[in-house]
Amino acid sequence: MQAERRCEQCGQIIPWGEQKCPACGDDERFRWSVSRNELLLLSVLVLIILFSITTFLVKTYRAKERELAQKWYVSGERELNAGHAEAALGDFRSALVYSRNDPLIELHLAHALSAAGHYHEARAYLLGLWASEPGNGTVNLELARLAAGSGSVAEAVQYYHDAIYGQWDANPTDHRRQSRLELAEFLLKVGQKAQAQAELIALAADLPPDPALQTQVATLLLKTGEYEHAAPLFRQALRLRPNYTPALEGAGETSFEMRNYPDARRYLARAKRLGPLSPQSQSLLETATLIQESDPLAPRLSGQERASRARRAFTQGMQRLNECAAAHGVSLDNNQQQSDFQKVHALASALQPKVRERNLTHDPDLLLKATDMAFEIEKVTERACGEPRGMDLALLLLSQVQEGGNE
Amino acid sequence: MGTSEPPQQRTTSFTRSCSNWRLTAALSAALPPRLMINKTEPNVNKPAPWRAPAGGRRILEEIRRRLRLERGELTLGEQQVFLLLAVIIGLFSGLAVVLFRMTIEYTRLTLFGSGLVITPLRALLAPFAVGLCVAVLVMKVFPRARGSGVNQTKAAVYIYDGFVPFRTVIGKFVTCALAIGSGQSLGPEDPSLQMGAGIASALGRRMRFSRDKVRLIAPVGAAAGLAAAFNAPIAAVLFVIEEVIGKWTAGVLGAIVLSAVSSVVVARWFLGDQALFGIPSYHLVHPAELLAYAALGVIGGVASLVFVKLVGYLRPRLKALPRWTQYFQPALAGLAIGVIGLWLPQIMGAGYQYIDQAMHDQYPWRIILLLGAFKIIATTLSFVSGTPGGMFAPTLFIGAMMGVGVGGIERHFFPWLTGSVGAYALVGMGTLFAGFLRVPMTSVFMVLEVSGNYSIILPVMISNTIAYLISRQYQRTPLFDLLSRQDNVDLPSMEERREEQTLLVEDAMRPFQDPVLSSQDSVTDALSRLEGTPGEFFLVEDGRGKWYGITKDMLRGAVLAWDSDVALGSILREPPLPHVHPDHALDVALSRLDDVPFIPVVHRADLTKLEGVVSLDGILKAYRDTELLAKARRRSE
Repeated sequence: MQAERRCEQCGQIIPWGEQKCPACGDDERFRWSVSRNELLLLSVLVLIILFSITTFLVKTYRAKERELAQKWYVSGERELNAGHAEAALGDFRSALVYSRNDPLIELHLAHALSAAGHYHEARAYLLGLWASEPGNGTVNLELARLAAGSGSVAEAVQYYHDAIYGQWDANPTDHRRQSRLELAEFLLKVGQKAQAQAELIALAADLPPDPALQTQVATLLLKTGEYEHAAPLFRQALRLRPNYTPALEGAGETSFEMRNYPDARRYLARAKRLGPLSPQSQSLLETATLIQESDPLAPRLSGQERASRARRAFTQGMQRLNECAAAHGVSLDNNQQQSDFQKVHALASALQPKVRERNLTHDPDLLLKATDMAFEIEKVTERACGEPRGMDLALLLLSQVQEGGNE
Repeated sequence: MGTSEPPQQRTTSFTRSCSNWRLTAALSAALPPRLMINKTEPNVNKPAPWRAPAGGRRILEEIRRRLRLERGELTLGEQQVFLLLAVIIGLFSGLAVVLFRMTIEYTRLTLFGSGLVITPLRALLAPFAVGLCVAVLVMKVFPRARGSGVNQTKAAVYIYDGFVPFRTVIGKFVTCALAIGSGQSLGPEDPSLQMGAGIASALGRRMRFSRDKVRLIAPVGAAAGLAAAFNAPIAAVLFVIEEVIGKWTAGVLGAIVLSAVSSVVVARWFLGDQALFGIPSYHLVHPAELLAYAALGVIGGVASLVFVKLVGYLRPRLKALPRWTQYFQPALAGLAIGVIGLWLPQIMGAGYQYIDQAMHDQYPWRIILLLGAFKIIATTLSFVSGTPGGMFAPTLFIGAMMGVGVGGIERHFFPWLTGSVGAYALVGMGTLFAGFLRVPMTSVFMVLEVSGNYSIILPVMISNTIAYLISRQYQRTPLFDLLSRQDNVDLPSMEERREEQTLLVEDAMRPFQDPVLSSQDSVTDALSRLEGTPGEFFLVEDGRGKWYGITKDMLRGAVLAWDSDVALGSILREPPLPHVHPDHALDVALSRLDDVPFIPVVHRADLTKLEGVVSLDGILKAYRDTELLAKARRRSE
C-alpha cells in the first residue's frame, strides 16, 4: 500500500491505508494495475500505434495541403495572365499558406506584386529568395528589373550580371542572352554607352541564327556608335532573311554612318520597295541619293557630267554662303575680310567668273578648285549656321569623305 | 575471491519467477546457464557449477549490481526509469502537438474555407457559434481546460503534486483546437505545454514514482509540449526552468532536455523543420542601427504594459459577472473579433501566415500599427472571456508588427542605416516576449533558435532588456503571477525567486574574539590562556586545517587525569568540527551546525586561517534583518 497519494479521478488526497477516494468515491482496487515494465512496454506499443495513426493523418493532411496550394497557385497564374494582378496576389498568398516558403510561389507572388505596382513588397520577397539562393538567375533578373525601375543603376547592373552568370533551370543560354540584352538596353537608357557596347559585343559573339535577334542586337550596337560590329550583324540577318525590313533599314543606316553612301542607298532603296520607310530612314535615303547624284568626284563620270556637278556644287555653295551671311548680318561686300565668311567669299568671288561648264570640262584643276571651294563653303557655313539640309548636307558629307580619304 | 561456501548458501541474484519467465529465459540465453540458480533448490546431484574466470566474475557481478536483477524482474533504478520515461513523454507530446496543429488547421479550413479572404457571414458566425460550444464544453465537461495552461501547470507542480488529470489534456485539445481554428485570437503553444504536462502526469502516476518525481514529471511534459509547438527545444527548456520550476536542478534538467529533444524530433519528422514563418537574413548595417533597436525596446516595453494592464483590468471584472454570462462570454468575444476581422482578418487566429507577410514587408506602416493595436484588443477579449488558448502566438504577432513598424520608420528616415524590416520583426517578437511574459532569457534564445543567426544577438539583447526593465518598473507583478492571484491561487513567483537575495555565511558570521588554541599547546598552557575568558567553547586548530572544539571542563578534566604537559592534540575528540567558507549559502552553515554553539569560518585558500565563526543565533539574526529590510523597501515603494 502506498503512502498518501492522489486520486486519479479528482486529484484529492487519499489518506494512508485507504483505497477509496473520500471525495469522489473512486476505488483503485478496480483499476487495472500494471507493473512498471509492463507499463513501459505498453507505452511503446501505444506509441507505435499512435505513430502509425499520425503518419496516416499527416499524409492525408499533406496531400490536402498540396492540393490547395496547387489550386490557389493555378488560380493565381490565371489571374496574372489575364492581367488581374491584384486578384492574383490574394491567390498566391493563399497558396503560400499551404506551401510555406515555396520559392516558386514566392517568385510568382513577387511577379504579381511587381505587376500590381507594389515594387517594394516584391523586392522584399525577392530578397528573401536571393538570400537562400544567391545564384538563382530568375531571382537576380527580377531584382535587376526592380532596381532598374527604381533607378538604382549600380544595383541593377550587379543583379543583371548575377543573372547572366547565375543558375537557370531551363534554357540557360537563352535566359543569359536575354538578361544581357536587357542589361544593354538599360545601360543605353541611362547613358552608359561604353558599358552597353561591351555587353553588346559579348552578346554578338554568341548569337543564334535568328534574324530578329541579330537585328535587335545590331540596332543597339548602332545606337552605341559601334558600327564596325553592327554592320556584319545586319548582313548576317539579311543573309538569313533578305527582305527583313528592319535589317535593311539598319544596314542602310549603318552604311550611311560609315560613309558608305552607295551601300546605304542600296539597302534603303530595297527597304523602300518592300514598304514605307521610317522618317529617319527616308531622310537618309534622300541624302544618300543626293550624295551619289551630286558628287563631282565620283568615279566613272563623263567630263560634262563632272563639270556640271562641280558647277552646281559651286553655285549651291555660294547660295548657302549668302544665306548664312545674311542670317548673321554679315556684309560680304566689305573688303576688309575680317570674318571667315568674308574670307571664303573673297576666294569664291575670285573663282566665280571662271566657273563655267565649258571651263570646268577642259580644266581639271579648275574643277577641283571649284569643288574644294564648294566644300569649304559648306564647312564654314555649317560651323556658323548649323547642320545643313538637302544638297548642302550632301556636299558637307562629301567634304568629310574627301577629308577622310586624304587622311 | 572464490566460492568456498556450498552453492545452495551462495546468495544468488537470479531466480525464476512465474510472471517473468520470458525475461528470465532471455537472460539465461545471454548468460551462462549455471548462473541461473534457484536458491530454494539444493544443489545435490547437479554437476559442478561452471565458474567464470576471476576477472569475468567481477564483470558479471558489476553488471548484476548495476542492473539490480531480482526475482527475475528487470528493475532499473528510479532515476533511470525517469529518464527513459522522459523520452517516452517527449514522443507522446510530440505526437499530441502534431495532431493538435492539424486539428486546428482542419477546423479553420472547415469554418473559413481555404482562402485568406473570409466572407463576412463566416467571419461573424464561426467564432460566435464555436464560442458557444467551447463555453459549454469548458463549463460542463472540461472545467480545467480554461486558461492558457502555464499557470495550470505551475499549480500542478506546486499544489497538486504534479497531478494533471488526463481529462484536461483531452479538454484542452478539443476546446483550444475549436477556439483557435474558429478565429479566436489565441495561440496553440501554451495549451501544448499543458497537454504535455498532462501526458507526463498520467504516465508518471502510473509508474508509481515517488512523490518528488511525480511532482517534477509535469514540467518534463510541459517542456516537451512547448518544444514541439515552437520547434525550439532550447527555448522550451529555458521557459520551463525560468517560469515553471524556477531553478536549475540537475536531477530534472536531464529529463527536461531529453523530453524536449525527443518531442522536437517527432514534430520535425511529421511537420518538417521549416520555421513557422520565413526568417530573413540579418546583418548589422551600421552600429548606429542599434539605437533603433533600443527604440524598439522602449516601444515594446510600453506595448507590454498596455497589454498586461488591459488583461489585468478586464479579466477579474468579467469573472465577477454572474456565472450564466460565462456561457456567452467566449461567443461575444468571438463576435467582436469577427467584427474586427471584417476589416482586419489578420487578427483572427494565431496569425503565423501574417507574421510571415509582415516579415516580407507586405503591409504599409499604418496597417501595421492597426494590426498591432487590434491584435492586443482581440487577444485580450479572447483571453479574458475565458476561452481556452495561449498567449504566445499573439505575443509574437504583436511584437512582429511593432518591429516592422519601427523598422519602417527607421528605413524612411535613415535608409542608409537600416537592414531588412524582417529583422526588426524578429527582434520585436523577442522584445514583446520579454516585456509581456517577463521571460528575458527565453526570449533571447527563442529568437536565436528560430532565426538560426547568432549575429542578431546584439539587437535582441538590447531591445529585450529595455522592454523587460520598463515592464518591470511599471508593472511589478508579472502576468502569470497576476493571473494566479486573480484566481486566488498563491503560486510562487519565479521572478521574485530569481531576484531573491541569497544570504551567505559572511552576512551572519562574527569575528572570533577568544584565543585560538593549537593542538601543540599543552593542556595547562591552554587553560591558563583561557582563564578569565567568559566563553565556554573554544577552537583548536591542528596545524593542518582541521578544527576542533574544546571546553574548559574538558581541559580541567585532562589536567586531573593526565600529566599537565600533555598536548591538546591527544585529548581532542574526533570527528573535527565542520567548517564553512564566507561565500557559502547560509543554509549550508545551518545544516552543518549540528549541536555545537558555532562553527569556524575559514579561508578557502588557507584552511588554517580563521575568518570568523557562525552560530545559529547569527544565522537567525541575518534572516530577520533581511526580512526587515525588504519590508521597509516595500513600504517605501
